[in-house]
Amino acid sequence: MLDLIGLNKRYRTDTVETTALDAIDLAIGAGEFVAIMGPSGCGKSTLLNIIGLLDRPTAGRYVFEGRDVAQLPEAALTDIRKRRIGFIFQNFNLIDELSVRENVELALLYHGIPASERRARVDKVLDKVGIAHRAGHRPSQLSGGQQQRVAVARAVVAEPPLILADEPTGNLDTAHGEEVMRMLRTLNDDGATIVMVTHSPAHADYAGRVVNMLDGRVLVEARRAA
Amino acid sequence: MFASTLTVGLRTLMRNRSFALINILGLAIGMAACILLLLFVRYELSYDDWLPGHERAFQVQTFYNDPETGRHDAMQMSAYAVGRSLAKDFPEIDKVAYALLAKPVILQDGNATTGEVMMADPTLLDILPLPFVRGDPRSAMRDLQSLLMTQSEAAKRFPGIDPIGKTLSMVRNGKTYDYHVTGILRDLPRNSHLKLTMLVPFNGGVFGDQPEFFKRYGWNSGYNYVRLVPGKSFADIAPRLAAWEKRNIPKQNFGGAFVSEGDTADWKLTPISDVHLGKATGAGMTPSNDPGSIATFTLVALLILAMACINFTNLSTARAGQRAREVALRKVMGASRRQLIVQFLGESLVVAALAMLVALALVELVLPLLADFLKADLVLHYFGAGGILLPVLGLTVLVGLAAGLYPALVLSRFDPAPVLKANRGGTDTQGSGRLRGALVVAQFAVSIALVICTAVVTAQTWYARSADAGYNRDGLLQVTGIGRKQIEPVADQLVDAVARIPGVLGVGRTTIGVNTDSHINTLVRVDGNPRPIEMGNYNIDPGFFDAMGMKLLAGRTLDRANPRDDVRVAPNDEAAQAALATRGANVVVNVEALRKLGLGSPAQAIGKSFRVAMVDEKFGLVPVTIVGVVPDVRLRSFRDPYEPIMYQYDRSYMSEMMVRLNAGAAGPVRDAVEAVWKRYAPQVPFEAAFTDDIVRNQYDADAARATTFAAFAGLAIFVACLGLYGLAAFTAERRTREIGIRKVLGARDSDIVRLLVWQFSRPVLIANIIAWPVAWWLMRGWLDGFAQRIALGPQWFIGAGVLAALIAAATIIGHALKVARSSPALALRYE
Repeated sequence: MLDLIGLNKRYRTDTVETTALDAIDLAIGAGEFVAIMGPSGCGKSTLLNIIGLLDRPTAGRYVFEGRDVAQLPEAALTDIRKRRIGFIFQNFNLIDELSVRENVELALLYHGIPASERRARVDKVLDKVGIAHRAGHRPSQLSGGQQQRVAVARAVVAEPPLILADEPTGNLDTAHGEEVMRMLRTLNDDGATIVMVTHSPAHADYAGRVVNMLDGRVLVEARRAA
Repeated sequence: MFASTLTVGLRTLMRNRSFALINILGLAIGMAACILLLLFVRYELSYDDWLPGHERAFQVQTFYNDPETGRHDAMQMSAYAVGRSLAKDFPEIDKVAYALLAKPVILQDGNATTGEVMMADPTLLDILPLPFVRGDPRSAMRDLQSLLMTQSEAAKRFPGIDPIGKTLSMVRNGKTYDYHVTGILRDLPRNSHLKLTMLVPFNGGVFGDQPEFFKRYGWNSGYNYVRLVPGKSFADIAPRLAAWEKRNIPKQNFGGAFVSEGDTADWKLTPISDVHLGKATGAGMTPSNDPGSIATFTLVALLILAMACINFTNLSTARAGQRAREVALRKVMGASRRQLIVQFLGESLVVAALAMLVALALVELVLPLLADFLKADLVLHYFGAGGILLPVLGLTVLVGLAAGLYPALVLSRFDPAPVLKANRGGTDTQGSGRLRGALVVAQFAVSIALVICTAVVTAQTWYARSADAGYNRDGLLQVTGIGRKQIEPVADQLVDAVARIPGVLGVGRTTIGVNTDSHINTLVRVDGNPRPIEMGNYNIDPGFFDAMGMKLLAGRTLDRANPRDDVRVAPNDEAAQAALATRGANVVVNVEALRKLGLGSPAQAIGKSFRVAMVDEKFGLVPVTIVGVVPDVRLRSFRDPYEPIMYQYDRSYMSEMMVRLNAGAAGPVRDAVEAVWKRYAPQVPFEAAFTDDIVRNQYDADAARATTFAAFAGLAIFVACLGLYGLAAFTAERRTREIGIRKVLGARDSDIVRLLVWQFSRPVLIANIIAWPVAWWLMRGWLDGFAQRIALGPQWFIGAGVLAALIAAATIIGHALKVARSSPALALRYE
């Protein structure tokens, strides 16, 4: 699915240069469920942003579905992101001014899909994540677990083959966290590739493979039996 | 506490320089516009209140109401008899003076010039104590040869020498009168309804051959001024005026009907300081203004200021979230809500004070230009009488409080616990967002309405200057003074000589002309109608219609060879008057006259007759026959409806000579006309103007007002856009996260730009819904003041709306692009 080869990411301010990612080599195959772990500031989120084409590497190659995307123009990246990648964030990143349904529909809005079909797909996915009864509510009217379910619905409604989750359970209590993890597991079972950043060893257990990072490097990789 | 407020206020400004700039600049422009407009309004309201004792001085004005048409008309003139008769019957009247403006030929050292001279009873100086520089007001007009002139007139006529005792001669009605200078007046300020450069005693002898001048109540050629005894007002006199009219105005036998000049007229005393903005606008010495336009200017001033205050309120509440942490911390440290309100109001007062400094600098810069443009003596000083220091301080405090109060209430309301717990800015409060939207709509509604009004006023002024007036203005020269007595013996030869000049295509004389002050009306009777009908009655000669380019609709023009066409009779020749009454006369009328007389179409009207008062009452009315019908033409302002006119051929008096020139060589031909004039009438200055120029100048004041209005409308839009720019900047900042999410989900840059532009265009579009009906209502009222006007079509409204939307979009597109191009990872990281 994707290959990171000798990937580097440096941030430069007036006085300091920080290396966020240092010579990362990582390959993720289609249908894998990968958990990335490590202490705060080790570069997990930066890595996820680069994988999600939200950020560009300073050096190195990034091959996504057989195509080197590291230096593609912004418009091309937007297009790939739109069709191939779904995102789930720790803080949900729902738009407060839009209803649950509209938030989910947003992921289809830029695909040029007719309104009636959009609506049908949104209803289906809301039903699937068990939040259909709250479709007309605003995000601020929902609990954290419900909000994350909406965010999951939004990530999968366009049926992207790759789902990126940045600490999806970080803001949730244990019960809600488990619920979200079961959902990701099901998505993976249905064929989606999932890359998840997490602090929780218990949640990392849901993944087939765990990548441990420290100071911008991949420390150790462990494969588990699913 | 105050020092702390000031420090915090200044630091807040320094920290957010672009917001500070928008706030200060916006408020400064609003304040400057407000001060400029209000200075102009104050100037307009100050007319003649510089005259000592103006509280007791009144002008007698004539108010006409036509019972047939329901039309009301009022003029500042009144007949000589009116003033004398009022003074006789009302003990409340302490002094009366009659004054008229004449433009005699003035002879000085063998040079003939013309000049405007006021001829007035000496009591005028008691009623209107004009400022003397030299001479004694009590004796300066004692004898009939006295002459007062203003400083600048004296400097012009007697440069470098003492004018006192110097002599000028004036030719009135063919006779020469000598005057010697007995006093010098200070130049009158421009805020006066009086037009005065030279003043001589009124000499009734000039009207020796017109005894009717002294008796008639409808002979309006001058002004009556009265002074009331202390403590009395017009209200003390008004109830007895009807009885006074009945007692004094004689009934006349008009072909069997007894009519009085009081039937359609009433007289009122108007305080002289109210003349400029009064109801009576006709026949003023200087152009008057209407209270409506003064009210409009005041309203525009206040609206622009309000818009600037709205910007401040909007930006402050929009940024409230950013200051939530500061507020929360202050509350934790023990600040009360009251103290916080004081702090935020203090900040807005600091901004208002800085803005006022900038505003005053702007006013100092712009005022001389505006004064020159509006031809008004606008001055700015801070101390003493009329000083603006106190009003300016008051305005600063008012603006600071008005703009700052709501933000202070919003900002001081934050609950500290959730704000500190979330460790981020408080979210925008629901209500203030909606309020901001409404205020932006209001700003743009005002801007759009102003743009519509400006466009309509400009278009109408342009239309009035350029529209077809019914006659041909191309190369049409109007020469004034052909009616002067000195020319009378050679007038016909002069006209014939002008007609022979190569390049002259036609010559005609008249008493009406283009945009002259000449108003001559008469009463006529039509068989079957018991009521006399009033219509304009002007002399022309047979060449007039041709020279004007007026095509006859039916019949023929008047003819020198036809004795029945010529109505001239000497005033004292009773036999000729009786003969005219017996034989009757031929006339040409215009379409409006036909309508008023009820005589059908032009073709049907030929040969029909009616009766006119042309000769002394005792010979009865003269029967006249219509031999020609001409179209209605616009010889006066587009504001006035067409007047019904009867044209007659009377060689005894014509005031204007209309000369049609070959438009291709108008300049040289005009010079040739002047040369002929100088050969035949060297004693009368040649005064001529192309009718194109006359008509253009006629609407100068309208054009100046339209331009001023346009300038302030432009300012209003600028202020509104400044606010929109600030809001867009803020919104772009606030919505960074949302836009990041949208981009993560695949939105392209263009999607984001479209989203933001649409969001900000929406209030502008909604503003149209408010602006259109208001502007339509205002402009319909304004256009109703014109008898001939442009249509109030949808193009003005749609055009203004589109313009406002484009300007708004251009204002925010920069921010939209910046936000759209930012990296989504960056946007989401800062959560």
